[in-house]
Amino acid sequence: MSLSARMIFVLTMVGLISGSLLSVVGLLTTERIELNRLREIEAAITVVIPGTVTSVKLYEEEKFTVYAGQDGEGMALGYAVYASGTGFQDIIKLMFGTDPAIQRLNSLTILEQKETPGLGAKITDALAFLRFWEKKDLSRPLTLRKPAAGSPEELATSEINTITGATISSEKVLQMVNLSLERLRVIKQEGKLGKEE
Amino acid sequence: MSSKSLTAEYLKGLWDENPVFRQLLGMCPVLAVTNAVINGIAMGLAASFVLILSSVVVASIKKLIPAQVRIASYIVVIATFVTIADRVMAAYFPPISKALGPYVPLIVVNCIILGRQEAFSSRNSVGRALIDALGMSTGFILALLILSSIREVLGAGTFLGYQVMGPWFKPWIIMILPAGAFITLGILLGIALAIEQRTRRGRA
Amino acid sequence: MDLLMLFIAAIFVQNYVLYYFLGICPFLGVSKRIDSAVSMGMAVTFVMTITAVVSWMINHWILIPFKLDYLQIVSFILVIAALVQLVEMFIRKISPPLYQALGIYLPLITTNCAIMGLALLTALRNYNFIHAVIFGVGSGLGFTLAIVLMASIREQLDLADVPEPLKGAGIALIVAGIMALAFTGFSGMIT
Repeated sequence: MSLSARMIFVLTMVGLISGSLLSVVGLLTTERIELNRLREIEAAITVVIPGTVTSVKLYEEEKFTVYAGQDGEGMALGYAVYASGTGFQDIIKLMFGTDPAIQRLNSLTILEQKETPGLGAKITDALAFLRFWEKKDLSRPLTLRKPAAGSPEELATSEINTITGATISSEKVLQMVNLSLERLRVIKQEGKLGKEE
Repeated sequence: MSSKSLTAEYLKGLWDENPVFRQLLGMCPVLAVTNAVINGIAMGLAASFVLILSSVVVASIKKLIPAQVRIASYIVVIATFVTIADRVMAAYFPPISKALGPYVPLIVVNCIILGRQEAFSSRNSVGRALIDALGMSTGFILALLILSSIREVLGAGTFLGYQVMGPWFKPWIIMILPAGAFITLGILLGIALAIEQRTRRGRA
Repeated sequence: MDLLMLFIAAIFVQNYVLYYFLGICPFLGVSKRIDSAVSMGMAVTFVMTITAVVSWMINHWILIPFKLDYLQIVSFILVIAALVQLVEMFIRKISPPLYQALGIYLPLITTNCAIMGLALLTALRNYNFIHAVIFGVGSGLGFTLAIVLMASIREQLDLADVPEPLKGAGIALIVAGIMALAFTGFSGMIT
Protein backbone atom coordinates (compact mmCIF):
# COMPACT_ATOMS: atom_id res chain seq x y z
CA MET A 1 0.00 0.00 0.00
CA SER A 2 1.28 3.47 -0.80
CA LEU A 3 1.73 5.92 2.02
CA SER A 4 -1.21 8.16 1.14
CA ALA A 5 -3.52 5.16 0.74
CA ARG A 6 -2.40 3.95 4.15
CA MET A 7 -2.98 7.40 5.65
CA ILE A 8 -6.50 7.54 4.27
CA PHE A 9 -7.19 3.97 5.34
CA VAL A 10 -6.02 4.56 8.93
CA LEU A 11 -7.94 7.82 9.29
CA THR A 12 -11.10 6.24 7.88
CA MET A 13 -10.79 3.30 10.26
CA VAL A 14 -10.16 5.54 13.27
CA GLY A 15 -13.13 7.67 12.26
CA LEU A 16 -15.40 4.67 11.69
CA ILE A 17 -14.56 2.99 14.98
CA SER A 18 -14.94 6.22 16.92
CA GLY A 19 -18.17 7.11 15.11
CA SER A 20 -19.81 3.76 15.76
CA LEU A 21 -18.67 3.70 19.39
CA LEU A 22 -20.13 7.17 19.88
CA SER A 23 -23.43 6.34 18.25
CA VAL A 24 -23.82 3.49 20.74
CA VAL A 25 -23.01 5.84 23.62
CA GLY A 26 -25.36 8.42 22.10
CA LEU A 27 -28.20 5.89 21.91
CA LEU A 28 -27.63 4.75 25.46
CA THR A 29 -27.51 8.21 27.03
CA THR A 30 -29.72 10.55 24.97
CA GLU A 31 -32.97 9.32 26.44
CA ARG A 32 -31.72 9.60 29.99
CA ILE A 33 -30.28 13.08 29.49
CA GLU A 34 -33.62 14.27 28.07
CA LEU A 35 -35.40 12.59 30.98
CA ASN A 36 -33.17 14.41 33.49
CA ARG A 37 -34.06 17.73 31.88
CA LEU A 38 -37.79 17.04 31.92
CA ARG A 39 -37.68 15.76 35.46
CA GLU A 40 -35.95 18.93 36.65
CA ILE A 41 -38.66 21.10 35.08
CA GLU A 42 -41.45 18.90 36.43
CA ALA A 43 -39.97 19.07 39.92
CA ALA A 44 -39.83 22.86 39.68
CA ILE A 45 -43.48 23.03 38.52
CA THR A 46 -44.57 21.01 41.54
CA VAL A 47 -42.73 23.48 43.74
CA VAL A 48 -44.26 26.64 42.24
CA ILE A 49 -47.80 25.23 41.80
CA PRO A 50 -48.44 23.14 44.93
CA GLY A 51 -50.62 20.09 44.36
CA THR A 52 -49.66 19.63 40.70
CA VAL A 53 -50.03 16.05 39.51
CA THR A 54 -49.64 16.53 35.77
CA SER A 55 -48.26 19.44 33.79
CA VAL A 56 -48.66 20.49 30.15
CA LYS A 57 -46.51 22.82 28.08
CA LEU A 58 -48.84 25.53 26.74
CA TYR A 59 -46.59 28.01 25.03
CA GLU A 60 -42.92 28.35 24.17
CA GLU A 61 -40.70 31.08 22.81
CA GLU A 62 -37.06 32.01 23.32
CA LYS A 63 -36.30 32.51 27.02
CA PHE A 64 -39.97 32.12 27.99
CA THR A 65 -42.05 28.95 28.43
CA VAL A 66 -45.47 28.55 30.02
CA TYR A 67 -46.69 25.32 31.63
CA ALA A 68 -50.07 24.58 33.14
CA GLY A 69 -50.27 22.59 36.36
CA GLN A 70 -53.27 20.32 36.89
CA ASP A 71 -54.43 18.26 39.83
CA GLY A 72 -55.44 14.59 39.69
CA GLU A 73 -58.81 15.35 38.06
CA GLY A 74 -57.38 17.59 35.37
CA MET A 75 -58.48 20.82 37.06
CA ALA A 76 -56.21 23.75 36.23
CA LEU A 77 -54.27 24.90 39.28
CA GLY A 78 -52.31 27.70 37.65
CA TYR A 79 -49.49 28.67 35.32
CA ALA A 80 -45.81 27.99 35.77
CA VAL A 81 -43.51 30.30 33.83
CA TYR A 82 -39.95 29.28 33.03
CA ALA A 83 -37.85 32.30 32.06
CA SER A 84 -34.19 33.08 31.56
CA GLY A 85 -32.30 36.35 31.44
CA THR A 86 -29.03 38.01 32.35
CA GLY A 87 -28.31 38.58 36.02
CA PHE A 88 -25.41 40.42 37.63
CA GLN A 89 -22.85 38.41 35.72
CA ASP A 90 -24.31 35.52 33.80
CA ILE A 91 -27.54 33.77 32.91
CA ILE A 92 -30.28 33.22 35.50
CA LYS A 93 -32.98 30.62 34.81
CA LEU A 94 -36.00 30.75 37.08
CA MET A 95 -39.55 29.50 37.39
CA PHE A 96 -42.54 31.01 39.19
CA GLY A 97 -46.13 29.91 39.58
CA THR A 98 -49.37 31.90 39.56
CA ASP A 99 -53.05 31.07 40.08
CA PRO A 100 -55.17 30.57 36.91
CA ALA A 101 -56.35 34.21 37.02
CA ILE A 102 -52.76 35.53 37.30
CA GLN A 103 -53.75 37.45 40.43
CA ARG A 104 -51.48 35.71 42.90
CA LEU A 105 -47.87 34.55 42.81
CA ASN A 106 -47.44 31.22 44.60
CA SER A 107 -43.68 31.10 44.80
CA LEU A 108 -40.41 31.40 42.93
CA THR A 109 -37.57 28.97 42.37
CA ILE A 110 -34.17 29.47 40.74
CA LEU A 111 -33.05 26.69 38.40
CA GLU A 112 -29.70 28.00 37.29
CA GLN A 113 -27.50 30.96 38.21
CA LYS A 114 -23.85 31.97 38.33
CA GLU A 115 -24.11 35.03 40.57
CA THR A 116 -21.35 36.00 43.01
CA PRO A 117 -21.03 33.23 45.61
CA GLY A 118 -22.04 34.44 49.06
CA LEU A 119 -23.77 37.57 47.71
CA GLY A 120 -25.86 37.38 44.53
CA ALA A 121 -25.96 33.59 44.76
CA LYS A 122 -28.24 34.05 47.78
CA ILE A 123 -31.12 34.30 45.28
CA THR A 124 -31.29 30.49 45.60
CA ASP A 125 -31.42 30.74 49.38
CA ALA A 126 -34.88 30.12 50.87
CA LEU A 127 -34.15 31.98 54.10
CA ALA A 128 -32.51 35.02 52.53
CA PHE A 129 -34.62 35.49 49.42
CA LEU A 130 -37.14 32.94 48.20
CA ARG A 131 -39.42 32.96 51.25
CA PHE A 132 -40.09 36.64 50.57
CA TRP A 133 -41.67 35.64 47.26
CA GLU A 134 -44.45 33.48 48.63
CA LYS A 135 -48.13 34.39 48.12
CA LYS A 136 -47.74 37.80 46.50
CA ASP A 137 -50.51 39.99 45.17
CA LEU A 138 -50.18 40.51 41.41
CA SER A 139 -52.84 43.18 40.89
CA ARG A 140 -49.97 45.70 40.80
CA PRO A 141 -46.40 45.20 39.49
CA LEU A 142 -44.11 43.82 42.17
CA THR A 143 -41.70 46.30 43.76
CA LEU A 144 -38.47 45.96 45.70
CA ARG A 145 -38.23 46.79 49.44
CA LYS A 146 -35.01 48.62 50.19
CA PRO A 147 -33.43 48.51 52.75
CA ALA A 148 -34.33 44.90 53.34
CA ALA A 149 -37.07 43.91 55.73
CA GLY A 150 -36.38 41.30 58.39
CA SER A 151 -39.34 39.00 57.87
CA PRO A 152 -42.02 38.37 55.18
CA GLU A 153 -44.71 39.83 57.47
CA GLU A 154 -43.14 43.29 57.32
CA LEU A 155 -43.53 43.50 53.53
CA ALA A 156 -46.55 44.87 51.70
CA THR A 157 -48.51 42.33 49.65
CA SER A 158 -46.79 43.27 46.38
CA GLU A 159 -43.34 43.92 47.83
CA ILE A 160 -40.25 41.76 47.43
CA ASN A 161 -37.23 41.87 49.70
CA THR A 162 -33.72 42.93 48.60
CA ILE A 163 -30.69 40.84 49.45
CA THR A 164 -28.28 43.06 51.37
CA GLY A 165 -25.11 43.44 49.28
CA ALA A 166 -26.74 42.04 46.15
CA THR A 167 -29.22 44.69 45.11
CA ILE A 168 -28.56 44.20 41.41
CA SER A 169 -29.16 40.44 41.48
CA SER A 170 -32.42 41.01 43.39
CA GLU A 171 -33.46 43.70 40.92
CA LYS A 172 -32.68 41.52 37.89
CA VAL A 173 -34.79 38.66 39.23
CA LEU A 174 -37.64 41.07 39.96
CA GLN A 175 -37.37 42.56 36.46
CA MET A 176 -37.46 39.11 34.87
CA VAL A 177 -40.55 38.15 36.85
CA ASN A 178 -42.39 41.42 36.12
CA LEU A 179 -41.60 41.25 32.41
CA SER A 180 -42.63 37.59 32.22
CA LEU A 181 -45.90 38.37 33.99
CA GLU A 182 -46.66 41.10 31.46
CA ARG A 183 -45.90 38.70 28.63
CA LEU A 184 -48.00 35.98 30.24
CA ARG A 185 -51.02 38.30 30.43
CA VAL A 186 -50.57 39.40 26.81
CA ILE A 187 -50.44 35.88 25.41
CA LYS A 188 -53.34 34.84 27.61
CA GLN A 189 -55.36 37.74 26.20
CA GLU A 190 -54.44 36.65 22.69
CA GLY A 191 -55.82 33.22 23.53
CA LYS A 192 -52.49 31.50 22.90
CA LEU A 193 -52.68 29.57 26.16
CA GLY A 194 -55.36 27.30 24.71
CA LYS A 195 -58.54 26.46 26.54
CA GLU A 196 -59.99 28.96 29.01
CA GLU A 197 -60.68 27.65 32.47
CA MET B 1 11.87 4.12 25.12
CA SER B 2 11.98 5.15 28.71
CA SER B 3 14.30 3.10 30.92
CA LYS B 4 13.03 4.13 34.34
CA SER B 5 11.70 1.57 36.81
CA LEU B 6 7.93 1.29 36.75
CA THR B 7 7.65 2.84 40.22
CA ALA B 8 9.71 5.83 39.11
CA GLU B 9 7.57 6.06 35.99
CA TYR B 10 4.50 6.41 38.20
CA LEU B 11 6.01 8.70 40.81
CA LYS B 12 7.38 11.26 38.36
CA GLY B 13 3.83 12.46 37.66
CA LEU B 14 3.27 13.29 41.31
CA TRP B 15 6.06 15.81 41.72
CA ASP B 16 9.04 15.96 39.32
CA GLU B 17 6.82 16.20 36.24
CA ASN B 18 3.55 17.19 37.90
CA PRO B 19 1.44 18.41 34.98
CA VAL B 20 0.10 21.47 36.79
CA PHE B 21 2.78 22.62 39.21
CA ARG B 22 5.85 21.70 37.19
CA GLN B 23 4.76 21.65 33.54
CA LEU B 24 2.06 24.36 33.71
CA LEU B 25 -0.26 22.28 31.54
CA GLY B 26 -4.04 22.04 31.62
CA MET B 27 -4.48 25.30 33.49
CA CYS B 28 -7.99 26.15 32.23
CA PRO B 29 -9.87 23.43 34.15
CA VAL B 30 -7.54 23.81 37.11
CA LEU B 31 -8.60 27.43 37.48
CA ALA B 32 -12.20 27.12 36.37
CA VAL B 33 -13.66 24.24 38.34
CA THR B 34 -11.79 24.42 41.63
CA ASN B 35 -14.29 26.64 43.46
CA ALA B 36 -15.58 23.53 45.25
CA VAL B 37 -13.78 20.29 46.15
CA ILE B 38 -16.48 18.09 44.63
CA ASN B 39 -16.12 19.84 41.25
CA GLY B 40 -12.35 19.52 41.41
CA ILE B 41 -12.56 15.78 42.10
CA ALA B 42 -15.15 15.22 39.36
CA MET B 43 -13.04 17.10 36.83
CA GLY B 44 -9.93 15.18 37.94
CA LEU B 45 -11.66 11.83 37.51
CA ALA B 46 -13.12 12.74 34.12
CA ALA B 47 -9.75 13.93 32.80
CA SER B 48 -8.04 10.82 34.23
CA PHE B 49 -10.55 8.55 32.53
CA VAL B 50 -9.78 10.20 29.20
CA LEU B 51 -6.02 10.30 29.73
CA ILE B 52 -5.67 6.67 30.85
CA LEU B 53 -7.85 5.15 28.12
CA SER B 54 -6.40 7.37 25.38
CA SER B 55 -2.85 6.47 26.43
CA VAL B 56 -3.60 2.75 26.36
CA VAL B 57 -5.30 2.96 22.97
CA VAL B 58 -2.61 5.16 21.44
CA ALA B 59 0.17 2.91 22.77
CA SER B 60 -1.54 -0.17 21.34
CA ILE B 61 -2.16 1.22 17.86
CA LYS B 62 0.98 3.35 17.53
CA LYS B 63 2.63 1.01 14.99
CA LEU B 64 -0.37 1.12 12.65
CA ILE B 65 -0.53 4.90 12.34
CA PRO B 66 1.61 6.73 9.76
CA ALA B 67 3.50 9.63 11.35
CA GLN B 68 1.82 12.24 9.13
CA VAL B 69 -1.66 11.57 10.47
CA ARG B 70 -0.77 10.69 14.05
CA ILE B 71 -1.97 13.97 15.63
CA ALA B 72 -5.30 13.77 13.82
CA SER B 73 -5.75 10.17 14.96
CA TYR B 74 -4.84 11.00 18.57
CA ILE B 75 -7.34 13.85 18.56
CA VAL B 76 -10.12 11.55 17.35
CA VAL B 77 -9.27 8.97 20.02
CA ILE B 78 -9.22 11.63 22.74
CA ALA B 79 -12.43 13.29 21.50
CA THR B 80 -14.17 9.90 21.55
CA PHE B 81 -13.35 9.28 25.20
CA VAL B 82 -14.19 12.87 26.13
CA THR B 83 -17.63 12.49 24.54
CA ILE B 84 -18.20 9.26 26.47
CA ALA B 85 -17.21 10.95 29.75
CA ASP B 86 -19.40 13.97 28.98
CA ARG B 87 -22.49 11.95 28.04
CA VAL B 88 -22.20 9.54 30.95
CA MET B 89 -21.86 12.42 33.41
CA ALA B 90 -24.85 14.25 31.90
CA ALA B 91 -26.95 11.08 32.04
CA TYR B 92 -26.05 9.78 35.49
CA PHE B 93 -24.67 12.74 37.47
CA PRO B 94 -26.67 15.72 36.16
CA PRO B 95 -25.88 18.16 39.02
CA ILE B 96 -22.11 17.73 38.62
CA SER B 97 -22.36 17.84 34.86
CA LYS B 98 -24.24 21.14 35.17
CA ALA B 99 -21.68 22.59 37.57
CA LEU B 100 -18.76 21.72 35.28
CA GLY B 101 -20.58 23.00 32.18
CA PRO B 102 -18.44 23.28 29.06
CA TYR B 103 -15.27 22.33 30.93
CA VAL B 104 -15.88 18.59 30.49
CA PRO B 105 -15.97 18.79 26.66
CA LEU B 106 -12.98 21.12 26.92
CA ILE B 107 -10.87 18.22 28.23
CA VAL B 108 -10.41 17.48 24.53
CA VAL B 109 -8.07 20.47 24.18
CA ASN B 110 -6.36 19.89 27.52
CA CYS B 111 -2.67 20.02 26.67
CA ILE B 112 -1.81 17.35 29.26
CA ILE B 113 -3.66 14.68 27.33
CA LEU B 114 -2.44 15.35 23.80
CA GLY B 115 0.99 16.13 25.25
CA ARG B 116 1.32 12.72 26.92
CA GLN B 117 0.28 10.92 23.72
CA GLU B 118 2.87 12.75 21.67
CA ALA B 119 5.64 12.66 24.25
CA PHE B 120 5.12 9.26 25.83
CA SER B 121 2.40 6.84 24.69
CA SER B 122 3.45 6.95 21.05
CA ARG B 123 6.98 5.83 22.00
CA ASN B 124 6.47 3.35 24.81
CA SER B 125 4.83 0.00 25.51
CA VAL B 126 1.19 -0.26 26.55
CA GLY B 127 2.16 -1.12 30.13
CA ARG B 128 4.48 1.85 30.50
CA ALA B 129 1.96 4.18 28.87
CA LEU B 130 -0.64 3.00 31.38
CA ILE B 131 1.68 3.59 34.36
CA ASP B 132 2.65 7.02 33.00
CA ALA B 133 -1.00 7.98 32.49
CA LEU B 134 -1.87 6.79 36.02
CA GLY B 135 0.97 8.88 37.45
CA MET B 136 0.02 12.00 35.51
CA SER B 137 -3.64 11.54 36.46
CA THR B 138 -2.74 11.23 40.14
CA GLY B 139 -0.61 14.36 39.86
CA PHE B 140 -3.44 16.22 38.15
CA ILE B 141 -6.06 15.13 40.70
CA LEU B 142 -3.66 16.06 43.49
CA ALA B 143 -3.24 19.57 42.09
CA LEU B 144 -7.01 20.00 41.68
CA LEU B 145 -7.57 18.70 45.19
CA ILE B 146 -5.04 21.07 46.79
CA LEU B 147 -6.36 24.11 44.94
CA SER B 148 -10.04 23.34 45.45
CA SER B 149 -9.54 22.55 49.17
CA ILE B 150 -7.85 25.89 49.77
CA ARG B 151 -10.51 27.75 47.80
CA GLU B 152 -13.52 26.01 49.32
CA VAL B 153 -12.31 26.15 52.92
CA LEU B 154 -11.31 29.80 52.78
CA GLY B 155 -14.01 30.91 50.36
CA ALA B 156 -17.03 29.19 51.85
CA GLY B 157 -15.82 27.78 55.18
CA THR B 158 -16.79 24.30 54.04
CA PHE B 159 -15.05 21.15 52.80
CA LEU B 160 -17.06 18.94 50.42
CA GLY B 161 -20.07 20.91 51.59
CA TYR B 162 -19.52 20.24 55.32
CA GLN B 163 -18.94 23.21 57.61
CA VAL B 164 -15.35 23.08 58.86
CA MET B 165 -14.83 26.62 60.06
CA GLY B 166 -16.45 27.88 63.26
CA PRO B 167 -19.17 30.53 63.34
CA TRP B 168 -16.48 33.21 63.90
CA PHE B 169 -15.24 32.66 60.35
CA LYS B 170 -16.27 35.14 57.69
CA PRO B 171 -15.84 33.49 54.24
CA TRP B 172 -13.33 35.12 51.91
CA ILE B 173 -15.62 35.45 48.92
CA ILE B 174 -12.73 36.46 46.68
CA MET B 175 -11.39 32.89 46.89
CA ILE B 176 -14.44 31.55 45.03
CA LEU B 177 -14.31 34.33 42.42
CA PRO B 178 -12.06 33.99 39.35
CA ALA B 179 -9.54 36.34 41.02
CA GLY B 180 -9.05 33.89 43.89
CA ALA B 181 -8.28 31.08 41.45
CA PHE B 182 -5.50 33.02 39.74
CA ILE B 183 -3.93 34.32 42.94
CA THR B 184 -4.04 30.96 44.78
CA LEU B 185 -2.54 29.08 41.85
CA GLY B 186 0.15 31.78 41.43
CA ILE B 187 1.18 31.44 45.07
CA LEU B 188 1.10 27.61 44.89
CA LEU B 189 3.36 27.68 41.82
CA GLY B 190 5.77 29.90 43.73
CA ILE B 191 5.77 27.53 46.70
CA ALA B 192 6.30 24.50 44.44
CA LEU B 193 9.24 26.21 42.75
CA ALA B 194 10.71 27.29 46.09
CA ILE B 195 10.58 23.71 47.42
CA GLU B 196 12.14 22.42 44.21
CA GLN B 197 14.95 24.98 44.34
CA ARG B 198 15.69 24.17 47.98
CA THR B 199 15.84 20.39 47.40
CA ARG B 200 18.01 20.85 44.32
CA ARG B 201 20.40 23.00 46.32
CA GLY B 202 20.36 20.30 49.02
CA ARG B 203 21.28 17.63 46.48
CA ALA B 204 24.08 19.67 44.89
CA MET C 1 -29.40 46.96 21.64
CA ASP C 2 -29.43 43.29 22.43
CA LEU C 3 -26.45 42.78 20.15
CA LEU C 4 -24.49 45.68 21.61
CA MET C 5 -25.04 44.31 25.11
CA LEU C 6 -23.89 40.86 24.05
CA PHE C 7 -20.80 42.41 22.48
CA ILE C 8 -19.89 44.47 25.55
CA ALA C 9 -20.60 41.56 27.88
CA ALA C 10 -18.27 39.32 25.90
CA ILE C 11 -15.44 41.85 26.16
CA PHE C 12 -15.76 43.10 29.73
CA VAL C 13 -18.23 41.27 31.95
CA GLN C 14 -17.65 37.69 30.86
CA ASN C 15 -14.12 38.24 29.71
CA TYR C 16 -12.83 35.13 28.01
CA VAL C 17 -9.64 34.84 30.04
CA LEU C 18 -10.56 36.47 33.32
CA TYR C 19 -14.05 35.04 33.74
CA TYR C 20 -14.15 31.78 31.76
CA PHE C 21 -10.44 30.92 32.15
CA LEU C 22 -10.19 30.04 28.48
CA GLY C 23 -7.01 30.57 26.52
CA ILE C 24 -4.80 30.60 29.61
CA CYS C 25 -1.83 28.98 27.81
CA PRO C 26 -1.29 31.78 25.24
CA PHE C 27 -2.32 34.33 27.88
CA LEU C 28 0.64 33.28 30.02
CA GLY C 29 2.95 32.21 27.21
CA VAL C 30 2.74 35.08 24.71
CA SER C 31 2.30 38.01 27.09
CA LYS C 32 5.93 38.96 27.66
CA ARG C 33 5.94 41.74 25.02
CA ILE C 34 3.18 44.06 23.86
CA ASP C 35 3.72 43.69 20.09
CA SER C 36 3.57 39.89 20.15
CA ALA C 37 0.55 40.06 22.46
CA VAL C 38 -1.23 42.30 19.95
CA SER C 39 -0.45 39.86 17.10
CA MET C 40 -1.64 36.90 19.14
CA GLY C 41 -4.82 38.73 20.07
CA MET C 42 -5.49 39.57 16.42
CA ALA C 43 -4.86 35.99 15.31
CA VAL C 44 -7.22 34.66 17.98
CA THR C 45 -9.94 37.20 17.15
CA PHE C 46 -9.66 36.30 13.48
CA VAL C 47 -9.88 32.54 14.04
CA MET C 48 -12.63 32.93 16.64
CA THR C 49 -14.84 34.87 14.27
CA ILE C 50 -14.47 32.22 11.58
CA THR C 51 -14.97 29.45 14.14
CA ALA C 52 -18.18 31.04 15.38
CA VAL C 53 -19.55 31.04 11.83
CA VAL C 54 -18.43 27.54 10.88
CA SER C 55 -19.33 25.83 14.15
CA TRP C 56 -22.76 27.44 14.05
CA MET C 57 -23.33 26.10 10.55
CA ILE C 58 -22.18 22.60 11.48
CA ASN C 59 -24.35 22.59 14.57
CA HIS C 60 -27.51 23.95 12.96
CA TRP C 61 -27.28 22.45 9.50
CA ILE C 62 -25.80 19.01 10.25
CA LEU C 63 -25.68 17.99 13.90
CA ILE C 64 -29.13 19.17 15.04
CA PRO C 65 -31.21 18.19 11.95
CA PHE C 66 -29.69 14.69 11.89
CA LYS C 67 -29.73 14.30 15.72
CA LEU C 68 -25.98 13.76 15.79
CA ASP C 69 -25.33 15.90 18.86
CA TYR C 70 -23.12 13.17 20.35
CA LEU C 71 -20.64 13.86 17.54
CA GLN C 72 -20.38 17.52 18.55
CA ILE C 73 -17.01 17.33 20.31
CA VAL C 74 -15.34 15.21 17.61
CA SER C 75 -16.63 17.29 14.72
CA PHE C 76 -15.84 20.64 16.35
CA ILE C 77 -12.25 19.72 17.17
CA LEU C 78 -11.56 18.28 13.71
CA VAL C 79 -13.12 21.24 11.96
CA ILE C 80 -11.18 23.71 14.07
CA ALA C 81 -7.91 21.91 13.35
CA ALA C 82 -8.64 21.88 9.62
CA LEU C 83 -9.82 25.48 9.70
CA VAL C 84 -6.65 26.76 11.30
CA GLN C 85 -4.59 24.95 8.66
CA LEU C 86 -6.68 26.48 5.89
CA VAL C 87 -6.49 29.96 7.36
CA GLU C 88 -2.73 29.60 7.64
CA MET C 89 -2.36 28.52 3.98
CA PHE C 90 -4.77 31.21 2.84
CA ILE C 91 -2.97 34.03 4.64
CA ARG C 92 0.38 32.82 3.38
CA LYS C 93 -0.89 33.05 -0.21
CA ILE C 94 -2.85 36.29 0.07
CA SER C 95 -0.80 38.47 2.35
CA PRO C 96 2.81 37.59 3.20
CA PRO C 97 3.16 40.57 5.59
CA LEU C 98 0.12 39.46 7.57
CA TYR C 99 1.50 35.93 7.56
CA GLN C 100 4.77 37.27 8.94
CA ALA C 101 2.86 38.94 11.74
CA LEU C 102 0.38 36.18 12.63
CA GLY C 103 1.90 33.06 11.10
CA ILE C 104 3.79 31.58 14.00
CA TYR C 105 0.82 32.02 16.30
CA LEU C 106 -1.69 30.20 14.13
CA PRO C 107 -0.52 26.61 14.79
CA LEU C 108 -0.53 27.40 18.52
CA ILE C 109 -4.21 28.23 18.26
CA THR C 110 -5.38 24.76 17.18
CA THR C 111 -5.15 23.23 20.63
CA ASN C 112 -6.16 26.47 22.27
CA CYS C 113 -9.14 25.95 24.54
CA ALA C 114 -10.35 29.45 23.68
CA ILE C 115 -11.41 28.39 20.19
CA MET C 116 -12.98 25.09 21.21
CA GLY C 117 -14.61 26.87 24.14
CA LEU C 118 -16.18 29.38 21.78
CA ALA C 119 -17.68 26.66 19.60
CA LEU C 120 -19.05 24.85 22.67
CA LEU C 121 -20.43 27.95 24.38
CA THR C 122 -22.15 29.11 21.18
CA ALA C 123 -23.81 25.69 20.87
CA LEU C 124 -24.65 25.50 24.58
CA ARG C 125 -26.38 28.89 24.62
CA ASN C 126 -28.40 28.32 21.48
CA TYR C 127 -27.33 31.59 19.89
CA ASN C 128 -28.80 32.48 16.52
CA PHE C 129 -26.41 33.17 13.66
CA ILE C 130 -25.95 36.92 14.21
CA HIS C 131 -25.55 36.47 17.96
CA ALA C 132 -22.95 33.77 17.37
CA VAL C 133 -20.88 36.04 15.13
CA ILE C 134 -21.09 38.99 17.55
CA PHE C 135 -20.18 36.67 20.43
CA GLY C 136 -17.18 35.39 18.43
CA VAL C 137 -15.84 38.87 17.63
CA GLY C 138 -16.52 40.15 21.15
CA SER C 139 -14.83 37.18 22.80
CA GLY C 140 -11.80 37.60 20.55
CA LEU C 141 -11.53 41.29 21.41
CA GLY C 142 -11.96 40.45 25.09
CA PHE C 143 -9.07 38.02 24.83
CA THR C 144 -6.99 40.66 23.01
CA LEU C 145 -7.75 43.25 25.68
CA ALA C 146 -6.72 40.89 28.47
CA ILE C 147 -3.50 39.70 26.83
CA VAL C 148 -2.39 43.22 25.80
CA LEU C 149 -3.06 44.61 29.29
CA MET C 150 -1.16 41.66 30.73
CA ALA C 151 1.79 42.23 28.42
CA SER C 152 2.00 45.92 29.27
CA ILE C 153 2.03 45.09 32.97
CA ARG C 154 4.65 42.38 32.50
CA GLU C 155 6.96 44.72 30.60
CA GLN C 156 6.98 46.95 33.69
CA LEU C 157 7.26 43.92 35.95
CA ASP C 158 10.65 43.08 34.47
CA LEU C 159 12.04 46.04 36.37
CA ALA C 160 10.45 45.03 39.66
CA ASP C 161 12.11 43.00 42.37
CA VAL C 162 9.98 39.83 42.31
CA PRO C 163 10.87 37.01 44.77
CA GLU C 164 12.87 34.34 42.95
CA PRO C 165 10.31 31.44 43.06
CA LEU C 166 7.47 33.67 41.86
CA LYS C 167 9.29 34.83 38.73
CA GLY C 168 7.59 33.90 35.48
CA ALA C 169 4.27 32.07 35.73
CA GLY C 170 3.73 32.63 39.47
CA ILE C 171 3.69 36.41 39.41
CA ALA C 172 1.87 36.41 36.07
CA LEU C 173 -1.00 34.47 37.64
CA ILE C 174 -1.13 36.78 40.64
CA VAL C 175 -1.25 39.80 38.31
CA ALA C 176 -4.02 38.06 36.35
CA GLY C 177 -5.88 37.60 39.63
CA ILE C 178 -5.72 41.33 40.38
CA MET C 179 -6.87 42.05 36.82
CA ALA C 180 -9.78 39.63 37.27
CA LEU C 181 -10.70 41.46 40.45
CA ALA C 182 -10.69 44.78 38.59
CA PHE C 183 -12.85 43.30 35.84
CA THR C 184 -15.39 42.18 38.45
CA GLY C 185 -16.21 45.89 38.60
CA PHE C 186 -17.82 45.58 35.16
CA SER C 187 -20.42 43.08 36.35
CA GLY C 188 -23.92 44.40 36.58
CA MET C 189 -23.45 46.93 33.80
CA ILE C 190 -25.42 44.76 31.37
CA THR C 191 -29.18 44.91 31.65
